[in-house]
Amino acid sequence: MLKTLRRMLKMHRIFIAQDLKKMMEYKIDFLTGAISFLLGQVFNIAFLWIIFSQIPALQGWSYDEIIFIYGFSLLPKAIDHLFCDNLWMIGYSIVAKGEFDKYLTRPVNPLFTVIVEKFQVDALGELIVGVALIASVIGKVSIHWSVLNVILFLLVIPFATLIYTGVKIITSAIAFWTKRSGQITHVVYAVNDFAKYPTTIYNEFIKTVITYIIPFSFTAFYPASYFLTGENPLFNIGLTVVMSMAIMAVSVLVWNKGVAAYESAGS
Amino acid sequence: MSKFLKMYTPFTRAGIQMSMAYRFNFFCFLLGEIFKCFIMFFVWQAVFASSDSETFMGFSMVDMTVYLFITFLAGYLTYSEGTYAVGEEIRDGSIAMRMIKPVSFDMTFLFQELGNKIMVTLVVLVPICVGVELYKYFVTGSFMFNLLTFTMFLFSVVIAYLISFYFNVCYGFMAFFLKNLWGANILKEVIVDFLSGATIPLAFMPQLMRDILTFMPFSSLSYTPVMIYMGMYSIEKSLGLIALQLFWLAAFWLLSKAIWRAAVKRLAVQGG
Repeated sequence: MLKTLRRMLKMHRIFIAQDLKKMMEYKIDFLTGAISFLLGQVFNIAFLWIIFSQIPALQGWSYDEIIFIYGFSLLPKAIDHLFCDNLWMIGYSIVAKGEFDKYLTRPVNPLFTVIVEKFQVDALGELIVGVALIASVIGKVSIHWSVLNVILFLLVIPFATLIYTGVKIITSAIAFWTKRSGQITHVVYAVNDFAKYPTTIYNEFIKTVITYIIPFSFTAFYPASYFLTGENPLFNIGLTVVMSMAIMAVSVLVWNKGVAAYESAGS
Repeated sequence: MSKFLKMYTPFTRAGIQMSMAYRFNFFCFLLGEIFKCFIMFFVWQAVFASSDSETFMGFSMVDMTVYLFITFLAGYLTYSEGTYAVGEEIRDGSIAMRMIKPVSFDMTFLFQELGNKIMVTLVVLVPICVGVELYKYFVTGSFMFNLLTFTMFLFSVVIAYLISFYFNVCYGFMAFFLKNLWGANILKEVIVDFLSGATIPLAFMPQLMRDILTFMPFSSLSYTPVMIYMGMYSIEKSLGLIALQLFWLAAFWLLSKAIWRAAVKRLAVQGG
């Protein structure tokens, strides 16, 4: 068990190194992409700033608290983007082009190999922006940084990340039946945009969808609001963990079913 | 004139066929964009609910909602893939084929995209405009549709599309100098998006930004037609801004012709 884990980590390191090499070849392109991303973030914050120039609070949340929630939302998104970006390719091209077979011939779990193949370095930019935003308001928001809360903070981020991963695995796995599911993944993933803002601003229908069906609210608003208000830890943190585990369980199930269907379709 | 149309309408037909073939992708993308629209709607609703006043920098909640959805519509109508198309052809060299063909290079792209725009008009423009007018009627109690402003809006948005088309073609010509256009393309989209008022109405920006923006073509791409639709400009101002749009259209059209001619000359010399 430990040996397999060590082997997996070593392979992961090799894959990451290869990806970094490829990336250096596109330096200018990468730089412009990075600048565009940063600029996009600046514009988002400018939007918030303009709003708060006219109102003192958005549904009770101050500018700093909204920035905290926004920054928080970038963390799980970035970490998932960093490690699991290759899942997009399953739905977009890998299955359709018949390239999935090579993953099945390898002695390692295909889901693992698919994910490990791409290390999306530019996601670090997202991560840095998220951390920077949180750092910029950390002194201005009333968070009680008890030992328990620090632990919960570090704990809830990986679980929130897995919500993103789980959703992507499920929508990508659809490709095993329909050949292409990239568009579906794109649309479902786009729902995460709702999570940048307090879930309470939406109507009942949207609230239900982003809380219980495509639970992106647990990647940002619910955990962040716990730290900001100290309220409802069982719901805000506890349910994040539960939702995350539930989505991962469903995703692995769907994925395995998908692979079985793909294999039996005669490859 | 009819010969001209005969030559290029097949491209439009091809464009419509392609749109039909990719309709699943089209609707998925449309859904994603509609999400963004509704997110903004709820954010602004929360903003107005949290504010003491009925207006935010001169806009009422109804204004803001109309602004959001018409901007969304304008974005769809003015979107052009010129940069990508031109960039690809330069990268794989097939642009050389375009140079020797007797059909106009930009006209073939344009007419093909028009096919897609016809789809957009049917699937997006009609529902959005009907929806917006119904919304205005239900909220304000009166039917506020003005045929003149709507006609000016249509005229303005068509020019906006053409500006976008030639702007994108010029930008695509950068592929002659850059190996990869991907990063530069995203940069363009991010900046144009913001400066054309997609996220924040340009009227909300600080005075300095607004002054600078009057000299740039970006407001002609989306903001001008949207504000005309909303009846925020007097007829004189609307016509004046449409004239400004025509100026920018001419500017980018001439620029694209100039770059094209220079490229043809250069490649003719190199390729022999």
